[in-house]
Amino acid sequence: MITPDKETRRQLIELKEQKDICLEGNILKTFKVNNDKEFESYLEYCNTKDKDARKKRMGITKQVQEQNIRLSHLNEENQKMMNDLQNKITEIEESKLTFEVQNKELEEWKKENIELTEKLQSEMMKSEKARVDAEAAKQNAENDLDLLQKKTQNELISTIVKVALWVIMGVGFVTTGVYVLTLFIGKDTQVISAAWSNIFGILLTNAFSIVGTIMGIKYATENKQ
Amino acid sequence: MIDSILLVDDEDLFHLVFEDACSLLDISLSLKSISSADEAAAMFKKWFDDKTPEYRPECVFVDLNIIGSSFDGIELIRKINFEYGNHVVIGIISSSNESEEQAKALQAGAQFWIIKSDDIEPRLEEFKKDYDGYKDKSASFKVYR
Repeated sequence: MITPDKETRRQLIELKEQKDICLEGNILKTFKVNNDKEFESYLEYCNTKDKDARKKRMGITKQVQEQNIRLSHLNEENQKMMNDLQNKITEIEESKLTFEVQNKELEEWKKENIELTEKLQSEMMKSEKARVDAEAAKQNAENDLDLLQKKTQNELISTIVKVALWVIMGVGFVTTGVYVLTLFIGKDTQVISAAWSNIFGILLTNAFSIVGTIMGIKYATENKQ
Repeated sequence: MIDSILLVDDEDLFHLVFEDACSLLDISLSLKSISSADEAAAMFKKWFDDKTPEYRPECVFVDLNIIGSSFDGIELIRKINFEYGNHVVIGIISSSNESEEQAKALQAGAQFWIIKSDDIEPRLEEFKKDYDGYKDKSASFKVYR
């Protein structure tokens, strides 16, 4: 414990009274009073002043502490929000990446589809060309067949005409020969002449009929084409 | 009244609050506040190695989690009690109230656990009443809520 001498005590009290400068802090707790009422009163004043100052300071410090704690909590919340935001951004980026991959796949599919369409169009064109070629070939074949049929028909007709003409001519010659022979041998020609005349007329009629029929058929066939 | 106190806490503002509270409650004559457990351990090691126990504080208040230090408050208490000679009243002052941590502190030799809050004065006043028991090791571990 400290026991200040009389002069020191007087100077301390004067300092307090003149300039309100006092001792403060734990040093005050180390002074011994020794029945000096004035110095005791001085120490009491200093203690009260010191405690008031400390209370005030402690109040302010506690307020600052509270504010710091609030700020710390706000900072934590802010950090949490930032983390959430970061997570959302990451999710969005992942989604974007997925979309990009899907888009890429779609682009590839589109490209493949375009290629397939082009191939299909090419095949369709080839097919169309083949169809046209086939139709042309069919038309050619039909024309050839028609020509062949006509040729065959003409040959047949020609054969028929020839045979018919040969028959007509043969019958004419035979009938004429028989009539001539009858005239030479002096037999009655009444029957044979009538028969020759009839046969000849019939033959001529038939010959013209055949020729007319053939011409008609030919004409009708040409018109049909 | 406690002759000297050492506070080990990383929060500077709490140094001021603790100092003012101790002064207002006439708990101690001298108070030193430091922010690092490593610094505290170094100080105790020096006093132990130099065989100068008179420089040691009478009572030590240690925060549980001391940011910036290489070990926590419980480890500091263990070091002081089991490596650097003991002979101080020592305990935790923390905002934590976990019984598991309190058990660990007790095992490390802590004598009290004061829960830090805005209104620290009533707890310190209660601690002041119990202090003599801690000094003569007669008081058991207590949590000041």
